[in-house]
Amino acid sequence: MAMRESRKEKIFHWINAMAMVLLIIVMVYPFWYVIMYSLSKPYLAINGGFFLLPKGFTLEAYKTVLRNRSIITGFITSAVATVGGASLGTILAAMTAYSLSKKNMPGRKLLTYVFFFTMFFGGGLVPEYLLYKQFRLLDTYWVLFLPGCLSVWNILVIKNFYKSIPDSLEESAKIDGASEISVFFRIIIPLSKPVMATIALFLAVHYWNDFLTSVLFIFDKDKWSLQAVLREIITNTQEAMTRQGITIRNEYASNVSQKTITMATIMVSTIPILVVYPFVQKYFVKGTMIGSVKG
Amino acid sequence: MSKIDTSINTGIVEKTPYAVKKGKLWRNIVRNKFLYLLILPGLIHLIVFKYLPMYGVVIAFKDYNMFKGVFESPWVGLKNFKDLFHTAKFPLVMKNTLEISLLKMLFGFPAPIILALLLNELKNLRFKKTTQTIVYLPHFISWVIYAGIIRTFLNPVDGFINEIIKILGGAPYDFLGSRSTFRSVLVITDIYKGIGWGTIIYLAALAGVDSQLYDAATIDGADLFQKMRYITIPCIKPVIMTLFILGLGGILNAGFEQIFLLYNDMVLPIADIIDTYVYRKGIKEAAYSLGAAAGMFKSVIAAVLIILTNKVANKIGEEGIW
Repeated sequence: MAMRESRKEKIFHWINAMAMVLLIIVMVYPFWYVIMYSLSKPYLAINGGFFLLPKGFTLEAYKTVLRNRSIITGFITSAVATVGGASLGTILAAMTAYSLSKKNMPGRKLLTYVFFFTMFFGGGLVPEYLLYKQFRLLDTYWVLFLPGCLSVWNILVIKNFYKSIPDSLEESAKIDGASEISVFFRIIIPLSKPVMATIALFLAVHYWNDFLTSVLFIFDKDKWSLQAVLREIITNTQEAMTRQGITIRNEYASNVSQKTITMATIMVSTIPILVVYPFVQKYFVKGTMIGSVKG
Repeated sequence: MSKIDTSINTGIVEKTPYAVKKGKLWRNIVRNKFLYLLILPGLIHLIVFKYLPMYGVVIAFKDYNMFKGVFESPWVGLKNFKDLFHTAKFPLVMKNTLEISLLKMLFGFPAPIILALLLNELKNLRFKKTTQTIVYLPHFISWVIYAGIIRTFLNPVDGFINEIIKILGGAPYDFLGSRSTFRSVLVITDIYKGIGWGTIIYLAALAGVDSQLYDAATIDGADLFQKMRYITIPCIKPVIMTLFILGLGGILNAGFEQIFLLYNDMVLPIADIIDTYVYRKGIKEAAYSLGAAAGMFKSVIAAVLIILTNKVANKIGEEGIW
């Protein structure tokens, strides 16, 4: 009986490992496919198929993409919005969280509620749109990162972290004559670097991946973020490419096609994430854990 | 810090308790001026970008006129809401939202639990770590990129999936353009993108299970499956319950980005959700008041749901989000 069970377990472990290998393949293969397709010669790739290796080899699609004005401007726009939104959002959240973590500040309870309330209820898309219109934020770069940078969730995460800093640390600094300002900047901020890095990374990924803000609030497509440009290329290939001045006269003779260009664009916008991902992954996991601890 | 401050403070004011109460508060405020300064930018941001739109929702009760603005536009009471429910469109959109959400919940909720249980059984730690790292990845890749991949793979002419179907002897199928398969695509790709990330909390819960329980069970002759059933699952059940209830709180979010990127005219009747409807009505067609009414309807119900589900989560003895 015991023997039989252990064999059952062995089989389970074997199947489990196989299932996980299969899962890895399922997760990775789409990107492999995209890379291989983007490197292929269009007339060889046109029949689709499996793409374990590129069919023929050409970098022409990437050259076209990297020469393309709206992809380059989209890339820059996204980079600026990412850096701007992530740093502004982190600083604002850290400042707000510090005040809200101070029990002796009169009005703290009320202020906490004021912030907290926005987690359940919001005006919705249309009032936001009209507000941006009123403030002349529509069609500006500001709308890409300014309205969305402060998240109450992030404030709560940082606040929880501040709570874990022993009071004695601040007290002793104060006894030594440090002002509230220098306590914040010289003790709290340096101590909370890890949590701030995590928040900044969360925000950065959010901004890098954001396409909706551009699509909703920016009409001038030259101001769109990279993901919005990519969306247009994916969903509206022919028109988008014509607008961007890419004309493919003969798919069979040319070294690029709409499809290889689409694939190359997907890769160009994925690569930044893939490059930083291995390094930041553990911060994200940690961040999620901090976030799930009750505040 | 607070102790020191108050002791100094009471030392000064002890003599005249009445006049001092106000003075004390004021002094407290003055002493904390730096804290107020610190919170000010965040507060302004919050008021401008969160509370002003909340006020702007009054246009749901007005006939918004662009030239008159939010304040001057005439009140119309519940007219917009009546209009909303008198067109067949909005009830349909509500129904779609709930159906898609529930489908995603039905299949998507158990998926990360199962994956976490399987990951937990991997003996080779490096293999486990590698698998985790790879299954987390889709969470960081935008829906735009996945939409591109999904469209490529499901392309009825030369898509990868259809190539496989052809090899297996089937006929290629337009999965994204067909009402009978579109929602399945939504559910499957949603699981695909979120399953790895969803395991994080479960894996943490699994790591917290007392290993002595397993040892004792081993001595009693329990096999792996019995341990899983009688130890592991009961131990993480509270986490499962909490996440389930909290998930119900978000039931009106059927996945705006995903659907926005994948839907098309052919599947519109079964794919159109509240968010996409608000976008098309409220912004594209500039029916601001109607769009705001639809949006408000959603946010009110969503708020009630979140509060209710949190209450329930707290009641069953688990931790809600607060």
